[in-house]
Amino acid sequence: MNIQDNYQKNRKNIFFSENKDIATHREKLINIFENDRFDKKNNESLKNINLKNFIDFKYKYLIPEETSVINNNHENSYSIVSVNGQCSTFKDDKIEITKIIDEDYNDFSKNNTIEKNDHFVNLNSLFLNSGFKIVIKRNYNIKIKISNIVTDDDLTIFQKNNIICQEGSSLSLIEEYENKNNSTSNILNVIKLEKNSQLNHFLIQDNSSNHNLIITSHSSCKKDSTYTQKVYNFSEGYVRNFHYSELIETNSEADLQGIFFLKDNNTSNNKTFVKHLAEDCKSNQVYKGILNDRAKATYFSNTHVDQVAQKTEGYQLSKGILLSDNASYFSKPELKIYADDVKCSHGSTIGPIDENAIFYLRSRGMSKIAATKILISSFINEELSSIDNEQMSEIIQKKLVRYLSKVK
Amino acid sequence: MFLEIKNLSVKIENKNILKSLNLNINKGEVHAIMGPNGCGKSTLANVLAGKEDYEILNGKINFKDNDLFDLNIEERAQEGMFLAFQYPVEIPGVNITPFLHSAINSKRKRMNEEEIDNLSFAKLLKSKASDLGINIDMLKRSVNTGFSGGEKKRYEILQMSILNPDLAILDETDSGLDIDALKIVTDGVNKLKTKDNSFLIITHYQKLLDYIKPDYVHVMVNGSIVKSGGSEIAAEIEKDGFQKFQ
Repeated sequence: MNIQDNYQKNRKNIFFSENKDIATHREKLINIFENDRFDKKNNESLKNINLKNFIDFKYKYLIPEETSVINNNHENSYSIVSVNGQCSTFKDDKIEITKIIDEDYNDFSKNNTIEKNDHFVNLNSLFLNSGFKIVIKRNYNIKIKISNIVTDDDLTIFQKNNIICQEGSSLSLIEEYENKNNSTSNILNVIKLEKNSQLNHFLIQDNSSNHNLIITSHSSCKKDSTYTQKVYNFSEGYVRNFHYSELIETNSEADLQGIFFLKDNNTSNNKTFVKHLAEDCKSNQVYKGILNDRAKATYFSNTHVDQVAQKTEGYQLSKGILLSDNASYFSKPELKIYADDVKCSHGSTIGPIDENAIFYLRSRGMSKIAATKILISSFINEELSSIDNEQMSEIIQKKLVRYLSKVK
Repeated sequence: MFLEIKNLSVKIENKNILKSLNLNINKGEVHAIMGPNGCGKSTLANVLAGKEDYEILNGKINFKDNDLFDLNIEERAQEGMFLAFQYPVEIPGVNITPFLHSAINSKRKRMNEEEIDNLSFAKLLKSKASDLGINIDMLKRSVNTGFSGGEKKRYEILQMSILNPDLAILDETDSGLDIDALKIVTDGVNKLKTKDNSFLIITHYQKLLDYIKPDYVHVMVNGSIVKSGGSEIAAEIEKDGFQKFQ
C-alpha cells in the first residue's frame, strides 16, 4: 500500500488529523514521499537499510488498556511506564506530564535543523499515534526513569515526546527500550532546555532481533544550559539513532555520546549534529562501536558553527572495533565553520582489535578470548567509568557481560 | 636440556630472518645474545614467546620437555616463559593490578596450584613494586599508558618478578634507561636469579652485562649465532664492534 492510501485508511487513528494546518503539512510530506527518488547516495537517512520495508508497512496501533503508571518512589524520583507510546497525565509542584497537543506538532514542524528528506521523521509526523509532554518545573532537581513498552506483535508506534526543562531545573532521565516483539517504534523526542537548566539523558536500547527502533531527538539549549545524552545500544534488532542539538544561546553545551554493540546480521545507523548558533558554547560528539559477525554500522557526525558563534569549542570522535572480517563500519565526520575564533576537531579510527595488545596480554598467560574481552572492555572503559549513576552503571555492565559472552 | 633450539629458520613477509640457529640453555644459566641492528635478535625473542606473524621454515625448539610449537602463546607463558618487551605495548583502560592478578592465576591454574586471593596478591604486588622503586600510585594506572621509557621497562621487570618465570627473555631491556634506572632494573633481575631459572638477555651493549653477569655470550649476525663464549666476547664487541663477525 502506498503512503497516501495507508494514511487515508488509518487517518481516524492518527493524532490531530482534524487539524487543518496539520493536514496541510502532512499533504506536503506525502508529496515528498511520492516525488523522492530515494537517492541512497546523498541521503544519510537511507544508508544500509531497505526503506521499502519501512514505507510499505501495515499500520497497526492499539490504545493501551491499562493506564500507564507514574510512581513517585521518593521525593524527587519518578518511574514512568510508557505503553505503546502513551503515558497517563500527572501533575505535582515539580513535574507535569500531559498528552501532546496540536501546538507541539506545529512547533516542531517549523524546525529547520532536521533534514526535510529524513523519511523516518516524516513518517513519524504523518502517522503520529502517541506521545507525551514532560515539563520539569523551575529550579527542581528531578530523576525520571521511563520504561518504553510495546504490548503486541505487528504494532507500529509513531511517538512524539516533548521534554521541557524550565529555568534552573535539573533532570536525570533514563529511558529503557527493551522490547521482545515483532514491532516498530519510531520515536521523536523534542527537548527544550531553558536558561541554566541541565538534562542528563541516558538511553538504553536492548530490543530483540524482530523489533525495529528508530529514535530521533532534537534538543535546543538556552543560556548556561547543558544537554548530555548517552546512548547504549545492545539491541539485536535494527536501531537508528539520529540526534540533533542546537546551542541557541551563549555558554550552553551539548554532549552527544553513544556506544553500540552489534553482532550477527544486525545494522545500526547513527548520526549526531550540533549547530552552534551563539558565542561561547561547547559541544562534544563521541560514538564508539563494537561490531562482530556480519554487523554493519554508519555514523555521521557534524558540527555546524554559525558566523556569530565565536569562541566555539566543538569536538567529534568516532571509534570502531571490527571483531570480524565481515563486519563493516562507515564513519563520516564533518565540520562546517563560518566563524573565525573557534576550536574544533574531528577524528575517526576504525579497525580490528590491536594484535600487538593481544600478543602482549597472551604473553602474560591470558587466553586469547580473555585478552579480546579485556580489550573490548578497555575500549569503552572511559565511557563506562564516567557513568555517575550507580543503577545505570550496573545495568550497562550486565549487558556488556552478556554481549562479551557471545564473543568467540 | 632446559631450552634447546635446533636449526631454527624463520621468515616474515618473504624475508628470511633466522637461519639455522642453534642455542642451548641449561637450568640456572644466564645467556646473552649480542648483535647488530636487524640481525634477528628480537625475532628470536618473539618466536620463543609465540608471536604468530612469523613463518617457521625449519627447526625445533624444546622447552622443559615440551615441543614449544605445540604450545600457544599463553601456554608458553603458563609453562614459565616470560618475554620482557623491547617496546611494551600501551593498553589504555586495562588496569595493571587486576591484569597481573589474572595473569598469575592463569599460571597457577595450569600448574594445579591454588589461586592467589585479592589480599595476598595486593601484598605481593606492593612489596615487589617497592623493591623496584615503583610508586604505588603507578599500580592504579592502565598498562604502560603514559609511562616514560624507563617506567615501562621497570614495569616489565615488576611483571617478571610477580610471575617468577623459569625462563626470562629480556629484549633490549637496557634501551631507554638512564644509569640509575638500569641499576634498579638489573638489581631486580639479579634478585630473581636462582639455580632453577634461566635468563636470555638480548642487548647491543656490554653495559647491561656489567650488571647482570652472563655465563655465556653469543654473537648473532645475519640470523645465526656466529660465535659463543664467555664475558670476554662482550668486551671484544665493546672494543671492536660487530664488524669483525660479519
